[in-house]
Amino acid sequence: MSSEEPAAQEETGGSEPAEQLTGRQRLLKGLWPPRVSRAQLIVALLLFVLGLGLAIQVRSNSESSALRGARQEDLVRILDELDNRTQRLEDEKQRLSGQRTELENSSDQAEEARKQTAEKERQLGVLAGTVAAQGPGITLTISDAAGAVEADALLDAIQELRAAGAEAIQINDVRVVAGTYLADGDDGVRVDGRKISAPYRFKVIGKPEDIEPALKIPGGVVQTLQKEQATVSVAREDKIVVDALRRANRPDYARSSSP
Amino acid sequence: MIAVLGLIAGVVAGLLVRPEVPAVVVPYLPIAVVAALDAVFGGLRAMLDGIFDDKVFVVSFLSNVVVAALIVFLGDQLGVGAQLSTGVVVVLGIRIFSNAAAIRRHVFRA
Repeated sequence: MSSEEPAAQEETGGSEPAEQLTGRQRLLKGLWPPRVSRAQLIVALLLFVLGLGLAIQVRSNSESSALRGARQEDLVRILDELDNRTQRLEDEKQRLSGQRTELENSSDQAEEARKQTAEKERQLGVLAGTVAAQGPGITLTISDAAGAVEADALLDAIQELRAAGAEAIQINDVRVVAGTYLADGDDGVRVDGRKISAPYRFKVIGKPEDIEPALKIPGGVVQTLQKEQATVSVAREDKIVVDALRRANRPDYARSSSP
Repeated sequence: MIAVLGLIAGVVAGLLVRPEVPAVVVPYLPIAVVAALDAVFGGLRAMLDGIFDDKVFVVSFLSNVVVAALIVFLGDQLGVGAQLSTGVVVVLGIRIFSNAAAIRRHVFRA
């Protein structure tokens, strides 16, 4: 085409009025029939590049979101908003996970507290005599044929047992606790208002190695009782069951002051 | 004819192959395309005028693209990239319109 056109240009330039449709004719001539020339190939190459760029641009414009066409300031603003939003969500996440940890901890703590409370209840139940107890200990049997053993002697025995580390005591079928009192009645000894009669059988849970010597020391409980013509026997046992119970009485006035 | 086929082939290839454009070129592609369009319209007009020269076309095409990209690049460096892009597009648009008018006069005699 190029090789011809300067000539054609001159030609048309020469006879412009004669050929009114030269432009259109040239266009048609260029379009058909197709001729392979250097100019055609170079132009085709450049147009190929143009078409490629056009298509890529159109495509990337249409396929991407509004962000691609956005201006820099808008992008900065959008980025800022996203950052803020991320920050907010991050904060919220932190708060919620903190809450979760707290809840987990508190439920753990509640469980732990419940366990400890139950454990304490058992321990206190042993002390208060509301639950049965078992463990190593001794039995102390006082046979009082002469009827000479009175409440104070039994109280001495109980004190001695306590001092020696007895943890649970029962006399016959009465549990001995902190508030237990002994009294001499008309017909015998009363423990917490319940009459008990000889032989007095003490079931004691505690360390036998401590309790037995404590009872048997010279001038101690055993000797004192024996002076009063009572027969006293002390036996260590591996398993003592203290199963006499007391009712748990709710105090009328005293309330726990600890939270 | 082959030139037209080349354009069509380019469009089809761009749509089908979906080539990955390097990120460095991305900001300059649209302005380069507009510049190339300007060159193409100029070439078409020259052909209709009968003064088409492939060397001139190639040089004008490439220099159009390069200069347009350069202006945008410069604008980006100066912080007025958006405004300069607009300016380039306006100028090229005017040229395209005037070329298109000349082509129209040739083709439709009006």
